[in-house]
Amino acid sequence: MEQGEQVIVAGFPLALDRRYQAETHMWVLPTDPGRARIGMDPLGIETSGTLAQLSFVPVGTQLTAGRPFGQLEAAKFVGPLVSPVSGTVLAVNDAAAIDAGLTERDPYGAGWLIEASLSDAAGDLSRLLADAAEITAWFAAKIADYRRMGVIAQ
Amino acid sequence: MSGAWRLLADDGAGASEGLALDEALMGRYARGEPDCPPTLRLYSYRSHCALVGRYQNLAAEVDLAACRRTGTEVSRRSTGGGAIIMGSGQLGIAYVDRAPAGQRPREIIEQLSAALAAGLAQLGIVATFHGKNDLEVGGRKIAGLGLYVDPADAMLFHASVLGDLDVEFMLQVLRIPAAKLADRAVAAVTERLTTVSAETGLRYDAAMLRPAIASGFAASFGVTLEPGAPDQTELGLADVLAASRYRSQSWLSERSVSEDASGSAVLKTPAGLARIYLSTHGDLVKSAMVTGDFNELPAAVVAMEAGLRWRRLDGEVIAAVVAGSGVADALGVPAERIVAAVRDAGREACQGATVGQAGSAGQRQLPEPS
Repeated sequence: MEQGEQVIVAGFPLALDRRYQAETHMWVLPTDPGRARIGMDPLGIETSGTLAQLSFVPVGTQLTAGRPFGQLEAAKFVGPLVSPVSGTVLAVNDAAAIDAGLTERDPYGAGWLIEASLSDAAGDLSRLLADAAEITAWFAAKIADYRRMGVIAQ
Repeated sequence: MSGAWRLLADDGAGASEGLALDEALMGRYARGEPDCPPTLRLYSYRSHCALVGRYQNLAAEVDLAACRRTGTEVSRRSTGGGAIIMGSGQLGIAYVDRAPAGQRPREIIEQLSAALAAGLAQLGIVATFHGKNDLEVGGRKIAGLGLYVDPADAMLFHASVLGDLDVEFMLQVLRIPAAKLADRAVAAVTERLTTVSAETGLRYDAAMLRPAIASGFAASFGVTLEPGAPDQTELGLADVLAASRYRSQSWLSERSVSEDASGSAVLKTPAGLARIYLSTHGDLVKSAMVTGDFNELPAAVVAMEAGLRWRRLDGEVIAAVVAGSGVADALGVPAERIVAAVRDAGREACQGATVGQAGSAGQRQLPEPS
């Protein structure tokens, strides 16, 4: 899948061809009508710690927005990967499950997490950040916040 | 945050029972449960227990034969981090609450580490959360940390504060690079770890640490701590979890898709030969140690070791750690040669690793959607 436009914001790449859930740092890239690819942005990864392993629910599992679709294991953290949308899991990224570093190296591309059909595409997508200027401002503000708190490197 | 938190205090927990109660305490903080104040449990294990991190391979971290020989209980935490020994000299901390919405794991760990540091400050110890992995005093680890958020959004923060530590015993039961150094092993560890006893000159055990750590949390969060006890539901659930999970062979023998391994490489320095030891988990560095004929272990070497922990074996990452530590100047060796030696040690570890026995990738320990 070709990647769209990316910009660098305060040292972090940001893809502007997709939508974001601010609280979870998950991105959602609509691929076909009612279908989307889901991943985590680099800030979400960086603020989790070095990724050790990613696990996903099986293909066919029902997704509920705000509920887990897998587990992230980082150096000092174990916790859920939280879905930004409702629907059904169509595919999981086995390559990322084998090598979590892939998601760190290419979070917007080969490091995607799952693909899903969306049960309420219009509703779920409307709740995500979609406007490029709005996304860029949110991303920049989060980087500044995290740096001020010492959570990410200067 | 303000108000009153529940404070639990107990000593002499078994490995499985101690961890099971921590997880049972999460129940009241699950999504859908009524709001209630956090619980802070300050406790100790019976001497001794060996606890590995959530995704570590038990046999790679712990010498199971030595554990049997010494009566050391073993179990696996739900939280991340490395293998530790726990006993009457180490204070276990379990902070349990609902995961704060919108906060990232590192934010949470940073805040809770500051509370721990505030507690140590009451003992005159200046500890910092340097390197984002452990709480350190002058570059030496004094407390380890880990965080777990369950699928129902309940959160458990684990920490272990070293009041005192029997290093020789630790080297018997944990498989760490220093154990390969034979007669220099104890010195190598004590150069990199410290304890409240070592810092204060007074012998501290877990029970003696409890008031200061409690006070640090109360002051940091502006709360009072009300002594309490687990309720019957929590105790019942803890019994079930101890049997069904923390003592179960399937939990203990879980394996990651990534293999644990170790490797080393020689580094020529103007003062003689040094050797870089790495323990790895897949392409992550679990621990690093540099040995050589140093009159005094350079602080920059310890900084590099700490900087490499839980980082990926990637040329750019290693170069940044080496540059940031100042180890090139300290050893009088060009940074590129140090980077190359670290990579050589990592390469040796990767070559020694065998294919793991995990199930199909990504299908391990799956959280049920809830």
